Amino acid sequence: MSVHIHVDGRRVPVPEGISLAAALVGSGHWTFRRHAVSGRPRGPFCGMGVCFECELTVDGQPGVRACLAHVRDGMRVETCPPTDPDDPSGGDVLAAAPGAGTTEEGRGV
Amino acid sequence: MSDRDVLIVGGGPAGLSAALSAAQGGLRVALVDEHTELGGQYFKRRHPAVVARHGDFRPAGTRLVTAVRQAGVDCLTGHLVWGVADDGATLLVAGPDGAPHALRARFTVLATGAHERVLPFPGWQLPGVVTAGLALHLATIDRVPVGRRVLLAGTGPFLLPVACALLEVGVRVVGVAEANHPYRLGRHAAASLRYPARLRELAGYLATLVRHRVPVWQDTYVLSASGPDRLRQVTLGGRHAGTVEADVLCVGHGFRPNVELARLLGCETRPDPVVGEPVPVADVVGRTSRPDVYVVGEAAGIAGVHAARARGQAAALDILARTGRAVPPARQRRVHARVRRLARFAALTEALFPPPLHLLDGIPDDTEVCRCEQVSAGEIRATAGLAHNGLNATKGFTRAGMGLCQGRECGTAVACLTRAANPHAPAEAFTARMPVRPVPVTALGVPPRHAAGADRGRPAGGGTPGGEVVR
Repeated sequence: MSVHIHVDGRRVPVPEGISLAAALVGSGHWTFRRHAVSGRPRGPFCGMGVCFECELTVDGQPGVRACLAHVRDGMRVETCPPTDPDDPSGGDVLAAAPGAGTTEEGRGV
Repeated sequence: MSDRDVLIVGGGPAGLSAALSAAQGGLRVALVDEHTELGGQYFKRRHPAVVARHGDFRPAGTRLVTAVRQAGVDCLTGHLVWGVADDGATLLVAGPDGAPHALRARFTVLATGAHERVLPFPGWQLPGVVTAGLALHLATIDRVPVGRRVLLAGTGPFLLPVACALLEVGVRVVGVAEANHPYRLGRHAAASLRYPARLRELAGYLATLVRHRVPVWQDTYVLSASGPDRLRQVTLGGRHAGTVEADVLCVGHGFRPNVELARLLGCETRPDPVVGEPVPVADVVGRTSRPDVYVVGEAAGIAGVHAARARGQAAALDILARTGRAVPPARQRRVHARVRRLARFAALTEALFPPPLHLLDGIPDDTEVCRCEQVSAGEIRATAGLAHNGLNATKGFTRAGMGLCQGRECGTAVACLTRAANPHAPAEAFTARMPVRPVPVTALGVPPRHAAGADRGRPAGGGTPGGEVVR
């Protein structure tokens, strides 16, 4: 049984009941966010809620750890894709990618 | 709050076992866990939809969780214990909605578990480099293969069941690089004959790997991982040096106990002999230097699931005896003997699989050690090399260990790099600080029932409210 999630606006079918991290990795998404300083891609790492590397924006809420969340039909997930595909550094991510500055902004304070 | 006899923090094998024995003995028990489901990491539950497709995983965990709930334990899931109040005993808790709570009982049992240790190498922050635990959860809980061509590396017996779980979901496991040389005949192999059940388990994993032609490369370690924006290639050093193409690298160098709450409660700790990181001093039943606080399971020192369950049970029986319940001495002796026996097995495992800390001497200066704050090995070495700079001074200067993971991922490495750069550095660990995990700022409000008595002293080792990670 499949549900559909929306990853950066694209509809992706995923098995029901799995973790969001598994859903993204299973559908080939490995860049979950970009580092606030370097803009380099980051993906899930510890898988148990400790490292905070897999934080994403889910249904408008920033800072959701994908390894602890389960997929839900209609879930909207925003990763931080590169702003310029020709620029491997991702460019000025703080200004260009909403939510990229995960340390300074977009926290659920 | 005060009508509870026992407050247990952590709903993994140790906490569940303690809760079950204590509740069955007639005590009023609350079990708090930050996750939405009980089980911890080892007994992590599959979602019902996954159970419907693939059946249950580790049904012993399901039985244990069911028994705990049926025994009348007050299960507070989704509740994160993030600190200790000024009375040195009340635990500060963030509820599922971020609301502040305060919990207290006559006895506190800390079953806070452990997290996986990974020693940094160049490229460990690339997407596609994950802990062995992440790959295991994906394969077993979600039934999703983490990658197509996967390499496992690090040290520890844990790498073997992870490799087997990956094979089961169709992953091509290209090899297991074990930094030590544990799989051979010798003094330790002879000693391990006294643990036939554990040996059978290990032999089963090795047989599966042989059947699938998965090589186990001993004395072999990761030098670097590389790829444009995710992992493509791993360079190995040691006996089987070379390059390996892989889309995922799973690494693990053992586990680190979660000891922050024990430290904040003022429980005495000792540096563990290999890494020098603090471990609570506890006896066979988990009693700490504080008569009302017990530490059980992996939080008391890494020993595996069987030891965790036995330690949880031993603590509960001790509390039952101390509160005047009849506990057959023979039963207590049996549990104590089991705890001691499994502790001896843990010591054997530790001797066979020491974390290869010497590898940190060889990582280049531009290796990113603190992943959160992006601090390099070179920055840490240069800072620690200055006079009198110990671990916490290095942290303060460089921000290594100050990010969202609060030093859990880089802690071992920053400590080792600091010691290597400055032999005069004082032996210390990162200060235990509140909140022990990032919490919503709403959770930091004072619960109404706890407003009084805020000016009382706190025990030694207590931190200050409001660490650097607050949200």
